[in-house]
This record gives sequence, C-alpha cells and structure tokens, in this order.
Amino acid sequence: MLTFITSPASFLIIPTLFIIAGLGSLFFRKNDHLANLWISTTAMLASLWGLIFSLSFILFGQELVFSLAPTSFPLLSLSFHIDLLAGFFVFIISLISIFCSLYGLGYLTHFYKKYNIAVFGFFFNFFLGSLFLVVTASNAIFFLIAWEIMSVASYFMVVYDRHDKSNIKAGLLYLIMTYVGTAFIILAFLLLYKYTNSFEFAEIKNQLALVPNYIKDLVFAFALIGFGTKAGIIPLHIWLPDAHPAAPTQVSAIMSGVMIKSGIYMMIRLFMDILQPIPLWWGVTILVIGIISSLLGVLYALTEHDIKRLLAYHSIENIGIILLGLGSALIFYTLNLPELALLGLIASLFHTANHAIFKSLLFLSAGSVINAMHTRNMEEYGGLIKYMPQTALFFLIGSMAISALPPFNGFFSEWLIFQTLFQGIMELNSAWHLIFIVAVGSLALTGGLALACFVKAFGAIFLARPRSAEVLHAKESPLSMRLAMGGLALMAIIFGLFSGTVIIILEKIGTSLSAFSNVTSLLTVSASQKITIMPDFGTVSAPVIFITLGALVLIILFLVKSVIYKKQTVKIGRTWDCGNDLNPRMEITATGFARSIVVIFKSILKPSLQQKIEYHDADSRFLQKSHTITMQMGDVYYTFFYNPLYKIVNALSLRVRTIQNGNINAYISYIFGALIVALFSVL
Amino acid sequence: MFSLFLKIFKTPDNVVFLSNNEINQKAVLTTLKELESKIKKLFHGSLAIRQIDSGSDNATEQELVALSNSFYDVERFGIHFVASPRHADMLLITGPMTRNMIKAVKRAYEATPSPKVVVTVGDDAENGGIWQGSYAVSDGVSNILPVHYHIPGDPPSPTVILSSLLKILQIVESKTLKS
Repeated sequence: MLTFITSPASFLIIPTLFIIAGLGSLFFRKNDHLANLWISTTAMLASLWGLIFSLSFILFGQELVFSLAPTSFPLLSLSFHIDLLAGFFVFIISLISIFCSLYGLGYLTHFYKKYNIAVFGFFFNFFLGSLFLVVTASNAIFFLIAWEIMSVASYFMVVYDRHDKSNIKAGLLYLIMTYVGTAFIILAFLLLYKYTNSFEFAEIKNQLALVPNYIKDLVFAFALIGFGTKAGIIPLHIWLPDAHPAAPTQVSAIMSGVMIKSGIYMMIRLFMDILQPIPLWWGVTILVIGIISSLLGVLYALTEHDIKRLLAYHSIENIGIILLGLGSALIFYTLNLPELALLGLIASLFHTANHAIFKSLLFLSAGSVINAMHTRNMEEYGGLIKYMPQTALFFLIGSMAISALPPFNGFFSEWLIFQTLFQGIMELNSAWHLIFIVAVGSLALTGGLALACFVKAFGAIFLARPRSAEVLHAKESPLSMRLAMGGLALMAIIFGLFSGTVIIILEKIGTSLSAFSNVTSLLTVSASQKITIMPDFGTVSAPVIFITLGALVLIILFLVKSVIYKKQTVKIGRTWDCGNDLNPRMEITATGFARSIVVIFKSILKPSLQQKIEYHDADSRFLQKSHTITMQMGDVYYTFFYNPLYKIVNALSLRVRTIQNGNINAYISYIFGALIVALFSVL
Repeated sequence: MFSLFLKIFKTPDNVVFLSNNEINQKAVLTTLKELESKIKKLFHGSLAIRQIDSGSDNATEQELVALSNSFYDVERFGIHFVASPRHADMLLITGPMTRNMIKAVKRAYEATPSPKVVVTVGDDAENGGIWQGSYAVSDGVSNILPVHYHIPGDPPSPTVILSSLLKILQIVESKTLKS
C-alpha cells in the first residue's frame, strides 16, 4: 500500500482529479448548489489525496523522477522531479486547499444567482492543480506552462466579482505584473538554455560549469525579479494588496498562503540547489530585500483599514521574514558554514509552512466577517465578538500566531530565524555581521509592529460597540466555514506544540538537498519537544511554554477568586459614561489607533491629512454641518518607481510609433530591407 | 426603581444648622484640624467628593472652588474632588433638579460605590429655591434621590460648607454608613 501511495501514479492522481473536478464542474452550470457541492467535495478529495501522498512521501518515500509520454515538442517534456523539498510544498498546498475548499462550501452560497458557480469551480480546480505541478515540474517549459495556468486561473478568480469596477482594475494590475515577472523568468531560463543546452532542471545543474559567472549573475537578477514579483517582495509588491482582497476569500487565502510561496520555492530550488555554488552578494541581496520587505510590509499594514488589504500587506511582511532566513542561509553556505546554512533553511521552511497556516486562517475568518458585514472597511465593524464568537476566537488564534506569540506556531519559526541571525552576528567577524545586526533589529521591530497591527485589527473588528447598524444583523457563519477555520486554528496549535517533531522532519528535508548531503545539523530535539541549538546556543520548549502559560493563567484566576474577591461583593452596573449614552463615536478607530505609529514613520509613509468642513452658514462659520478628515498614505512606489518607468516606456513607444506609420510603401521598403540583410547574412 | 422610591421616602432630610460661633472665620483652621482626624478615621485618610451640578446658577460652584484655594486648601486634610463618581465617597449636588439632568444624576448615583453619602448644597438644591414650581425643574433633589444631608445657604460660604462637612462626618460616625 505504502509503495503505491509514494509512487508516481499516486502523485498523478492529484492533478488528474483536479482536471476532472474542473471540467466536471462545467456540467453543473444550471444548478448553483450542485456545482458548489461538486467543486468543494472534489477539490477536498484531491487535496486529501495530496496530503496522504505528501505525508507518506516525506516520512517514507524515495526521490521520484519520472516523465510522462514524450511530447511532439523536442524541448518540452512532461517530467517531474519530486524530492523531499517539493514533497514538503505539496504538503503545504494540500493542507491549505483542504480547508479552503471546505470553507468554499459555505462561503460560495452568497454568490448564488449573482455569478456562475460552475465557472468559478473550473478556475478554482485548475488553479489548485497547477500549484501542484509548479512545485514538482522539472522541465523549465513544463514549469512555465504550469506557472501560467496558475497565474491565469488566479486572474480569473480575482475578477470573479466583476460587478465591482475596482476588482477589474486590480485584476489588470495583477495580470500585468505577473506577466512582467514571467517575462523575466523566461529570460532567466533562456539564458540558462543558451549555455547548458537544456531545459531540464537536472541537466542544467549538471552542466552549470558551462555558464559564465556574469551570466549566472544575470540569471540571478532575472529570477529574483520574476519570482520576487510572485512572492511580493518590495518594490514589486504593488499587485498584491490590490489583487488579494479582490478575489473570493478562500482564493485570497490560497493566493496569500500558498501561491506566493511558489516564488519562494523556486528561489530555494534555484539558488540553494541548481545554481550552487553562488557568489556572496546574492545572499546579501536577498537578506536586504528581506529586511526591506518585512519592515515596510508591516508599516503599510498598520495604515490599512481595509481588513483584506491589511492581511495582504502582512503577507509581504512574512515573505520578508522568510527571505531573512533564506538570505542568511545563502550567505552562510557561501562562507562555508553549511551547518548554519541548514539552520537558516529550516527556519525559513518552517516559517513558510506556518505563514501558510495562520495567514489562510486569518483570511478565512476575515472572509467570514466580510460575509456577515458586506464591507471590508474595519471602521464599520466593532463589537462583533458578541455576534460571531467562534470567528472571533479563530481570528484571535491567527493574530496571536502571526504576531509570534507563544504557544502558537509563528513564535517557533520566528525564534529559529532570530537564532539564525544571532549565529550570523556571532560567527562572522567581517563587515558582514553588521548586516545581520540590522536584520535582527528589523525583525524585532517587525514583530512589535505586527503585534500593534493585530491589536488594532482585533480591537476594531471584534471589540467595543458596533459602529454600524449592519453589525446588529451579523450572524455566525455556517458550519462548513467554522469547521475550516477551526481546523486551521488547530493546525496552528499543533505546529506550535509539536514544533520539535516538525523541525526533525524539516531537517530531513534540508539534508536531502545535495548541498547539505553530509552536513550535521546544529539542532537537537529531545523527547519532550525541547529544541536546542548546539552548542547550547539557545533552547526553547513548546510543552514548557504551554504548561507555564496554563499554570500562570490558573494561578492568577485562583488568586483573583480567592484573595481579591474574597471580601468583596461584585455588583454589575452600567459603564460610567458621564451621564451620557455610550456611543461608537467615543471609541478609538483603527485609523486613530495606528496614527501615532504612522506619525513616527511619516518620513517613510508620507501621510497626508485633508480636512473638509461644511458650515450651516457659509458666512458666519460658527456652526459646523459636517467635518470630514481624510488621512491618506503617499504611494512612494508609484511616484518614484512606477510612474517614471511608465513615462519612459510611453516615450519609447511613441518613438517606435514613427516606424509603424501606416504607409504601405514604407512597409514594403522594410520588407525589402529585411530581405537584403537576410540575404547578406546568409551568403 | 421601586426600591429607589422606597429609599427616597425613608431617608429623612437632615438640614445642617450651624451657630454663628461655628461660622467664625478664625474657627476655620480648628475646624479643618478636627475634620482631618475624622476623615483619617472614617475614610482611611481621604474623603473623595464628586460634585454634580443638577442645574445650578454657578453661585454654589464658586464657593466650592474656593475650598481648593490656598486659604482653605481642603486637599491638605484629605478632602478632594474627584472626576468620576466611581471614585467618590460623597455626592455633592448643587442647584435645582432640572428635568434635563434627572437621568444623569440618577446614573451618577448608581455609579457611586456604596457606602455613599448624598449631600445637597444651597437652597436651590433643597426645594428648587426661586425656581420652585417651574415646569423645567422637579424642585428639590430629594424628589429624585435619597438625600442624606442638606447644607443650607444661598449660596453657603466655604466656611459654612466646611463646618457642615465636619458636622456631617460627626453624625455619620455615630450611624452606619450603609445605604
């Protein structure tokens, strides 16, 4: 049985199931409910099979290299290479897809009669299927095909809610950015093909000696731009906060939790595996990008009051944190410190998995709130904890995990990344250790700001009093959505509590890469899940944290009950409100909460404040009719990067237009000229 | 609601009368000294007063403000005015009970932790004073709340207020404060 599960045929079941699911959903165009049932169950089945396959593959499997029947194109082969790293990403994808598909069962109901559910199902299943292919393909062209299916399918889901004009705009931006990225990826692969004469990843790796160094640097730059666009590194991130909120929630969750990780996966694959050995500055570049993305990502998240955009900016931040681990791993590896490199890789892989879990959890609970409230503006929420207590609990677990609070999973991966960076400060004594000091500082600041941001988000959404009448009609989400969120919340706890076991598995995955084939790991995990970094550098233990926190809470509760309340009687009365009625205008808003931090960082964020006052009598100006204050963030990327770029491209295009003048005689002369040049070069 | 009515009905209105001897300016210091020891004993060192304006013409407020100036300086004896009834031991209500303030005054009363003393200051607060019978007021505060003590005067001088407080404390001492 096990040999079947970890066989190529077993893997091929996954994409096949998704194709069947996608095409099959088109048969249910007439009946929304049946289509929804079909989509969700088939996608869940396929992802479940993916989970079974990847789990048994990671634990017991052998490396799988196989290809399907040869195609009629000489350079394209449908070849797969599934090693433990790919298996790990298959695991993440299937884990998140199961819960997101389950969530869709309840969530899609509000699209009934408005949009065609079957069409959604078609794109959704192809999207999920292509994700599995992206991480397992070992031929560059085959990879690009899968990559394109992923991009196009996700584009159609971004514009699925097409009655909203802003979604169309977001989709267009996404499409442009993703194609720019893909163009750079194609360039990178073409450059590699020119020197190694192959599109097979394994072949490229073997023939790498043929690639000159400056071409390798160029490939690095192109790959970084291409995959970085998908991963959402700053300043290529602009599509991300627009496109992620536009898509239906479970798609946002998959895009934010899983799809942007395909960029990370390819970076690990290329820089850690295929293009080794690499120069030092690659790692430094990635580390610096990690620093910038994590800090700016969280700063922009703080300024947001659109709940989904806030989460999208946090994705950028977390990609930055993952790149901190990956960048330091690359630096260590080049400096011949493979043990530390392995530590960095494990840390970034762990954070990849954790971010997938808690980010999709947060997106799903945000979607649950949006479903009840019909708006994404946090300022219109408030007091939802009374109306949606379970969603609130799940969102709280997600917020604590993303803010790296123990005992949830985010804490342990950020701890590992911190340890990696500390190791860098300790081990390196050249100027390089300065950059590690900056990285540690920025990671610490990022963590603090993320916490502030989620205090803001949780407070504005769930606490205090309702800020709009809509809240009073809010109801708890249907069972399927709550199950999906609950499952992910459970995963966040399990990955925290059993972080030791997860790290052992990640260690196995790391050492399976050829770069780390005979490296001893610095990490030891005791039977009680205690993680130690040798030689006694740092120690953390999930069960101890669990027990200490639990005991502390119990002791405090006991003290309050038995000592403080002993002589007192508790009388419950109304809140003292100076004789007025409490109303939501007395509450602090999300924007107001974030403002103090925005002011501190105003040189980066460039906030602008606009006041608009309307008077009852324009001449006397004593009685205000209305007073509006608008706070906006200046978009530095558009003003300093994209707009100049756009102007240059536009000016160039105008020049080129003089060639295409619409005059048929001119065209004939072009053809004639081309012919003469061709003849000269041939003869 | 009904219990409040019952309480209003049951609580006797005690008007604090002072002899001229007691209002002597020179007696202020001795009064304050005596007050200090009483407050130490009864309220663990400090008497927190929340003043509520139930519709006053500000005359009484002026006298109350004078209590905090350097001449009287009640803070040194542990009497202080607090911003929230949640922190208060005593409610000091001034002015006729205007209808607009009924809800707010009731809420402030409810917000004050027990045991609490309710004191009205000035003739307006006792029975509406010159506004008695007006459609805008429901006369004295005692129609709305159980008022324990009343300090007469229109307005009473700071010395009178201080001396009256002392007297109230003396009476309170001999009774239980539970109400």
